[in-house]
Amino acid sequence: MEDFSSRKLIDLFRLIAVRMSDARRELGALDGAIGDADHGNSMAEGFAAIVRAIAADDDRPPAEVMLLAGQSFLSAVGATTGPLYASAMLAAANGLDGKTTVSAADVAGLVPAFADGIAKRGHARPGDKTMMDAWAPAARAVLEAEKAGLAPIVRLSRARAAAIAGRDDTRAMMAAVGRAASLGPRSLGHIDPGAASAVIIIAALHEWLHAQRPPVPEKAQ
Amino acid sequence: MAPRLTNRQTEDNDAVIPLRFGDDPLLWASWLYYEEGLTQGAIAEQMGVSRPSVNAYLADARSRGIVNIDIAPDMFRTLTISVALRDHFNLQDCLVIPTHGDERSLIDRLGGAGAKVLARNLRSGDTLAVTWGRTVLSMADQISHPGLKDVRVVQATGGTTAQIPWTPEACASHLAKALNARAIPISAPAIVSSAKMREMLVRESVLAEQLGILAEADRIVMGISSLRPESTIHTSGFLEGGMQHSHYQDAVGSLTGRFISARGEPVIGPMHERTIGLGLDQLRAIPQRIAIAGGMDKVAAILAALRGGYVSILVTDIATGRGILNAEGYHDTTQRPTAQPDRALRPRTHVKKLINNPKDAVDETLRGAVLAHEHLIAPVPGSKRAIRAIDGPKPGKVAIVIGGGAGHEPAFWGYVGAGMADAAVVGNTFASPPPDPIIAATRAVDGGAGVLYIYGNFSGDVMNFGMAAEIMEAEGVKVRSIITTDDVASSPRETRSARRGVAGTVFTFKIAGAAAARMLPLETCEALAKHTNARTYTMGLALEPSSLPETRQPSFELGPDDMEIGVGVHGEPGVERRSVELADTCADLLLDRVLEEMPATEGDEVALLVNSLGSIPNSELYIVLRRVRQRLKARGIGVHCSYVGSYYTSLDMVGMSLSVLHLDSEIKSLLEHPCRSVVFSS
Repeated sequence: MEDFSSRKLIDLFRLIAVRMSDARRELGALDGAIGDADHGNSMAEGFAAIVRAIAADDDRPPAEVMLLAGQSFLSAVGATTGPLYASAMLAAANGLDGKTTVSAADVAGLVPAFADGIAKRGHARPGDKTMMDAWAPAARAVLEAEKAGLAPIVRLSRARAAAIAGRDDTRAMMAAVGRAASLGPRSLGHIDPGAASAVIIIAALHEWLHAQRPPVPEKAQ
Repeated sequence: MAPRLTNRQTEDNDAVIPLRFGDDPLLWASWLYYEEGLTQGAIAEQMGVSRPSVNAYLADARSRGIVNIDIAPDMFRTLTISVALRDHFNLQDCLVIPTHGDERSLIDRLGGAGAKVLARNLRSGDTLAVTWGRTVLSMADQISHPGLKDVRVVQATGGTTAQIPWTPEACASHLAKALNARAIPISAPAIVSSAKMREMLVRESVLAEQLGILAEADRIVMGISSLRPESTIHTSGFLEGGMQHSHYQDAVGSLTGRFISARGEPVIGPMHERTIGLGLDQLRAIPQRIAIAGGMDKVAAILAALRGGYVSILVTDIATGRGILNAEGYHDTTQRPTAQPDRALRPRTHVKKLINNPKDAVDETLRGAVLAHEHLIAPVPGSKRAIRAIDGPKPGKVAIVIGGGAGHEPAFWGYVGAGMADAAVVGNTFASPPPDPIIAATRAVDGGAGVLYIYGNFSGDVMNFGMAAEIMEAEGVKVRSIITTDDVASSPRETRSARRGVAGTVFTFKIAGAAAARMLPLETCEALAKHTNARTYTMGLALEPSSLPETRQPSFELGPDDMEIGVGVHGEPGVERRSVELADTCADLLLDRVLEEMPATEGDEVALLVNSLGSIPNSELYIVLRRVRQRLKARGIGVHCSYVGSYYTSLDMVGMSLSVLHLDSEIKSLLEHPCRSVVFSS
C-alpha cells in the first residue's frame, strides 16, 4: 500500500466527521441517559470544525494537519471532550513529526497515540466508565497485533473489536470521573457515550484504511 | 408483612360490635388470629370448632377479601430483586436486605444477614472455608449456631501482616470460635515473594495438610472485593503493591485473592503464581459458595463474580442488587401503576422555552447581559464568550478571572466589577469554555501582578482552565488556580477535594475580589480564596429538574411527589430522593448536614446564601431563610448577612441551595469591602 499525503489525511477526518454526524442522534440519546445529552452535537460539530480548518490548505505536513485538527476541535467544543481529543491529536502530531507522508502503519498507530494523549490529559483509569474504556483496549490490541507482525488493516480491525467490547463493558461500570460521576449508581446499565464515540472514530479509521486498498484487477473473461 | 383487617361485610352498618363476630365465623377467626395474635389452636378452642376448621376459615377470609395482606413496599422490593437475581444468575438462593435500616452500618447489617444465611445452611461435620474482609469479619462476629459438632473452619487464603482487624487469620479464628469449630489456618502469607517460594512452601507438610483440608471444603463464605482505588483490598495493603497495573487492567474484582474480569474470567498476572490459597477453579468446585457483599462500588465486581458462576448464594442489599440487575439490562418492575387522573392530560413532549435558535441562546444571553449592565461590563474584544469589567486592568493589582458553563446566570458575569472579578468566561450550556476565551480574558485583565483563576471543580473546567494556565505561564504571566469544592453532598468529608463547586463559590469570588482590590499580592489572594472555599458549605435540593435549550427535555426524571436532595448545578441527580417535605423540614435537612461539618461554636458568625436554582419563587426562599435563621439563633451562631435570590442558577430548575460561609475576622472584613458588580454591590 502506498503512503498517504496530507490531502488523504484530510479525507480521513472527513470520513470521521461524516460518521460522527450520522451518529449524532444516537450519541445524544446515550448521553441523555447519564449526562446532558450534548455529546452527539459536540463530537459532530468538533469534527466538522476540524474539517473546515484543515481542508483550507492541503500542503501542510501531516504533523501540522494533526496539530491544527486538535486546536480547532478544542476551540469548537471546550467541555471535557475538547481537551481530551486535543491532547489525543497533539500526541498523534508528535508521532508524525518530520514525516511528509503517512503510512498505513501510521494510521493504525493513531489509535495508541490517541489513547496515550487522552490518558495523559484525563487521568481516567480502566473501569471509570469513560472513553478510555474503549481507547485503552483498542490501543493494546493495535500494539499486540503489531508485535505479532500483523498488517495495519488487521491491527485496526482488532482495535475496532476491542473498542466495541470495551464500550459494551461500560454498561456494567459506575461512572467515577466526569459529569456522570455524580450519578453514581444511576449510571449503571448505560453505555458511556464517550466510549461509544471512540468506537465510531476507531471504526472510521478501519473503514477508511480498508477503502484505500488498491483495486483488485478484474480477471480477464 | 402487615396484615390488615377490612370489614367488607359491615361497611354499611354503623353498629360494628364484637358480638357480631358470632354471626360470621370467618371474621371472628380472622380477628382473633391477625389482630389478637392467638394461635389457631387457641382460636379453635374459643370458637368451639376444630383446628382444621379455623385454618379453613382463615384461608376463606383471605380469598373473600375479609383479610388483605399488604407487603410493605420496601420488603416487596427486596423480594422481587432477590427473585430476579436468583433466576437471572441461577443461584441456589439470594437474600436482599434493605439498603437503609437501623443505625448499624451496611457492612454490619450485611454481616448479620450473612450470619443468618450461613447458620441456616451449616451442618455438623462441615468443612467451611472463609475469606477475609470487613463484611466477613462482621458476619463472624454476629453468627451463633449452638449445637453444631465437628465443624472445621479453614482459611481460604494465606495470611497477611497488614495492620487491619479483618485479616484472613482473624476472620477464620473469630468464625471458628463462634461456631465452636476447629480453626485451620493457612500457615503462610497470602502472597509470597516468588513463584519458587510458593512451590517450596506448598510442599511443606504442615501447609500441604492445611491446603488439603481447604480442598475438601463443603462450603465457603466469602466477600467480594472491588478493585476501585478506594476499595478495602487497596487500602488494607493486602496486595502489598503487587498488583502491577498492566497485567490487571482487565480485572474488576477479586475473590479469595484471585482476580476476575468483567465477564468473570480469571485474570492471570504475575501475582498468580505467588498466591497461596484457593484457586478460582477450586472455588467453583465447592458445592455451596455464599458471597456477602454490598455497596455501589462493588456492583461491577459482584456482577463479574455472578457471571463467572463463583457464587451460589448471594447476600446483598437492595441498591446493590438493583444496580447489578440494571447493569444486566433488567429493569425494576416493582413500581405499581399509579392511578390515572380521570381526564389525562396529553403527555408533554418538550419543555417550553423563551429562546430563538437554541444554538444562539448562550451568545444572545451574553449580548443582553452586556447591554443591560453596560455601565459595569463589556465583552473582551475579539471574543464572544469573555466578559471584562469596564474599568480595568489596574496596574499592580492581581486580576481575577472566573468562569464555567453557561446556564448559571447571573453567574459568572454578575460577579465582574470593581472589588470583584476582573473577567468572566462562559462556555456552552453546562460545558466548560475552551482555553481560547480564557486566554483572551487573561490577557485583557492582567495588570502585571499575576492572575487568579476561580472555578468550580468539574473535570471540563479543570482541564480547560488548566490548559489556559499552562499557556499563560509559558507567556510569563503568573497564574494561580482556585478550584472550589463547597458542595457537601457530592462527596464525603474525607474526599473533600472531589466535591463539586457550586453556589458557595460566589463567596470565594467576593473574598478574592476584595483581597485583590486591597492590592494584596497573588499568593495572599490565593491563600484567602482557598481559606474561604474551605469554610464554605453548600447543599441543595430540587423539586423539579432543569432542561437544556438544545434538548428541551428534563435532564432527569423526578416523580410527582419526589424531591432530589444534594442535587448538582447541572441537573446532576443528588444523593437521595424522597417525598417532598415541609419547607422547615427541608431547611433542617440542609442545615443539619452543613452543621455536621462546620466546626462552628456558640458566638461564631456566618454569612448565608439561600440561592434559587432557577425557577423557585422568592417567597419560598424566604420561608427557608427564616427557618435557617431560627435554627442558628437557637444554636447561638450569629448571622452577619443573608443573601436570598438568584445567585448561581441551574437554568430552570425548581430548587434551592443553602450556602453557609463560616466567618472569621479576616473574611468578614473582606466581605464588607466595597464592590460594584451586577450581583454584589456595596
